Amino acid sequence: MATIPTAQIGDEELVASAQKGDRRAFEELVERHQQKAYHIAFDFSRDREDAKDLSQEAFLKAFTHISRFDGRSGFYTWFYRILVNVCLDYRRRAKRALAEEYNETVERQVEPSHVPANPVAPDQQAIAGQLSRRVGAALETLPAKQRMAFILKNHQGLSIREIAETMETAEGTVKVHLHRAVTALRQSLAEFV
Amino acid sequence: MVARDKPALKACRNLEEDLVLYYYGELSESARGNCETHLKNCEACRASLAEMRSLLPMTAAHDEPAQAFWDDYSREMRRKLDAVTEREPWWQRFVGLVAPLPVPALATGAVLLLALALTFGKGLWQPSAPPPDDESFMEVLPIAEQLDFFSDMELLDNLDMLETLGGQGNGTV
Repeated sequence: MATIPTAQIGDEELVASAQKGDRRAFEELVERHQQKAYHIAFDFSRDREDAKDLSQEAFLKAFTHISRFDGRSGFYTWFYRILVNVCLDYRRRAKRALAEEYNETVERQVEPSHVPANPVAPDQQAIAGQLSRRVGAALETLPAKQRMAFILKNHQGLSIREIAETMETAEGTVKVHLHRAVTALRQSLAEFV
Repeated sequence: MVARDKPALKACRNLEEDLVLYYYGELSESARGNCETHLKNCEACRASLAEMRSLLPMTAAHDEPAQAFWDDYSREMRRKLDAVTEREPWWQRFVGLVAPLPVPALATGAVLLLALALTFGKGLWQPSAPPPDDESFMEVLPIAEQLDFFSDMELLDNLDMLETLGGQGNGTV
């Protein structure tokens, strides 16, 4: 009997195989979702190495807890819930680390305010570089949940309902997070419009 | 994209949140209709929407790593999965295997196992050799079990004796 190419197998079947101990099936799930997972983590951390570590940490958590996946939601939703929590946790860890570093040496602390308030614009590339840094800094100042709601909507294009499901919160709460994030970003980045 | 000094016109306060949802296409049909009607007549809200359209797409970070990055990503991921698998204790792997099964299936399996064990495992559960102190008792036990036989034998002896006595009596009468 000819074997079905893994590309034609649905996530659900791969999950079922992974739950029976099929490592290859789980690796296929990783292959399918790694780019999206990486991009969410990158939007959140704005650092390539951190994004790689965060997305891989989420996959490892999914792997060790795959037996708990009951199929009530899609694998995608279940996995992104893990990823979102890993990212939010990373934010908390980063804040804690920053506070510790601040206590040790105030000079070494990196604050968003270190980015110049008035960007110089010798050419478009320089402005783009400035904008990227300012966006990163502006996102950094947002509370973690506002930031995640904004990233999932603005960068990943998830619907409000999907975001609510992923963040395990009410749709109304997501709308409030999104509105506050957009308002804060517009204030921070007004000079680039 | 140019740096701008003059402040943007402020959108109507009661429509701020709806404008964000309108931008993202998340308003219901009726709310969208109301929003569009309002936008036709409100310059501040139109400017606010235009600002969002100009600014928000720029906030997305575009990081497209080369294929080498993804190859490395996959290799590293496999290594980490190996490490996790090696660390996992045997019982966790067992739980991982049975956990996805529905509870009734697990219960049926358990009952079947118990039934099989009771049927075929009886011999295995016989008590082993008794302790040396009981050896003398075990020697007496078969004799004790045959006491009835011995008592029957005694009764027969008594009958023989009665017959003999009776025969003698008959002979003398």
